[in-house]
Amino acid sequence: MGERGAVRLESLTRSYGRVVALDGVDLEVRAGELLTLVGPSGSGKSTILRLVAGLDRPDGGRILVDGQDVARIPPHRRAVAMVFQDYALYPHLTVLANLTFGLRVRRVRRQEAERRARAAADRLGIGELLDRYPDQTSGGQRQRVALARALLREPTVYLLDEPLASLDAPLRFATRAELITLHRELGTTTVHVTHDQAEAMTLGDRVAVLDRGRVRQVGPPQQVYDEPADVFVAGFLGSPPMNLVPGGGVLGGADDVTVGVRPEDLALDPDGPVGAAAEAVEALGSETILLTRCPDGTRLTVRTGPRPGVRPGDEVRLRADPGRLHRFDTASGRRLR
Amino acid sequence: MSADRSRRPLTAWAFLAPYAVAVGLLIALPALLNVGYAFTDHTGLTRDPQFVGFANVRRMVADGFLLDSVEASAVHVALAVPLRLLAAVGLGLLLAAPRPGGRWFRVAVYLPTVVPDVALAVLFLWVLNPLYGPLNQVLGLVGHPGFTWLSDPGTARVAVALMLVFPIGEGFLVVLAARRLLDGRLYEAAALEGCGPFGQLRRLTLPLLAPVLLLLAVRDTILTLQVNFVPAYVLTDGRPANATLYLPVYIFDQAFEFSGFAYGALITTVLMVVTAVVIAALLLAVRRWRVLR
Repeated sequence: MGERGAVRLESLTRSYGRVVALDGVDLEVRAGELLTLVGPSGSGKSTILRLVAGLDRPDGGRILVDGQDVARIPPHRRAVAMVFQDYALYPHLTVLANLTFGLRVRRVRRQEAERRARAAADRLGIGELLDRYPDQTSGGQRQRVALARALLREPTVYLLDEPLASLDAPLRFATRAELITLHRELGTTTVHVTHDQAEAMTLGDRVAVLDRGRVRQVGPPQQVYDEPADVFVAGFLGSPPMNLVPGGGVLGGADDVTVGVRPEDLALDPDGPVGAAAEAVEALGSETILLTRCPDGTRLTVRTGPRPGVRPGDEVRLRADPGRLHRFDTASGRRLR
Repeated sequence: MSADRSRRPLTAWAFLAPYAVAVGLLIALPALLNVGYAFTDHTGLTRDPQFVGFANVRRMVADGFLLDSVEASAVHVALAVPLRLLAAVGLGLLLAAPRPGGRWFRVAVYLPTVVPDVALAVLFLWVLNPLYGPLNQVLGLVGHPGFTWLSDPGTARVAVALMLVFPIGEGFLVVLAARRLLDGRLYEAAALEGCGPFGQLRRLTLPLLAPVLLLLAVRDTILTLQVNFVPAYVLTDGRPANATLYLPVYIFDQAFEFSGFAYGALITTVLMVVTAVVIAALLLAVRRWRVLR
């Protein structure tokens, strides 16, 4: 319970006017793990970070950090460090002054503060940038400065609010790997917010999927991907998203059931039971996405290998992997065992 | 393409022309003429001023009233500019955050700026009245006997500066707008580091607003050296003991009351030089803060 770095949210609620941002969130972040919060915009993921950091107060519920209720603890006394999406570097200060800012506020002597700042900067490979101003550095460098600033707080929990969102694709890919390495070295609890499902799948030990202020599912990424708890999670994780077909349709199933199958679990098979017409063929190089339409109007997305030899308008036969069909209760959207 | 490109500067100049012509005819040319008139015996009444060389300059060097006037102006700038900046910045920062009823406070701060300065000065004649004025009555509440504001040299200078603390609408608006442009996340980041409201003011707001504050200081210095004419004219007419004989008042007296147009022109030139010196000193003083990086 009192383990260092553990975060627990208990029936957390927060509304902004009539907008319900959090609608009873229960979530446990284990000590030392990297948990990814993923969800569409407005799902409440950033609100959770702000509440844990203390930038905002919950309407109801409790937040426990290191087993301690933090309701009455001001932000700077909480053992958390936050990295903002746009990094929030002080534009009028050099990188070095940005790094020592917090230490100086906490009355650490200048020499000591600068020594620690240099160590953190060296660790993140920005040791040469210390005399520059933020507007003289690149996006990736700014992100490192923000990370180094968080590092200097020596927190028990890191809160990262979409730290990769403002980087371009190749840099994002490289930085993602570096974040994982850094987390492994530090072993500090980290909550990473993202709307990017590739980040959600690759970064975290566990992923929590949020929708409209509620946690829909928490678990290791592959497990959440393989066994989505409800229709929302099934449709949100995975690109292209899972095919969801009403029961009694081309994928079979009872009337009150929705049957789902991931695009990669549908195969082109000349003897397949499902007939469809290819409407569009997206060749992505290493793979091909087929958008097909069945005679009853159902659209099925198929992920297949490169060069499948199918052109728009062609008739194809499809076979779903019977072991990889997902069944959801149509009324509640919940997964059926 | 090329014809288009060559026409573009012409278009720019065409748009600039009305303003450029007005500045040239109404400001630059008179300013130059003014420097020329300073070396004549022009009275403002006769038609053909004669060149008199440095006669006016020699007169100026021996002019005790001018020394009083320069001193009064310097004291006024030293008193009024910081007070006006403090009021504009303080109120601007205080009222920048959205609060219920905030707009009424903002209107209240701006209102004195739209009051004609003569009207404001007449109002202050009443405010400063030693017998029934509200200012002395307020002082009376805390047991102070009050001042004879306008008949004592020291308090007269304070009184004029006090009146000019109210028309600060433009500076107030600039601070308000500049503060609202600052990124709220910087303040959140600072709050996470344990930076309280005062620390945020000292470490974030003021440094980030520094270029704006410098602009306001320069502008207010220029303004304050000139707008004190009306309050001084209405409240004290340069008295008592030349305490409020600010340069604009002295220039007006020389040029139009004493028909010393040429001498007035010379002092105007002096005022311009004084203004330039004060601003140069200001810019040199803030250079080490690297405001204009």
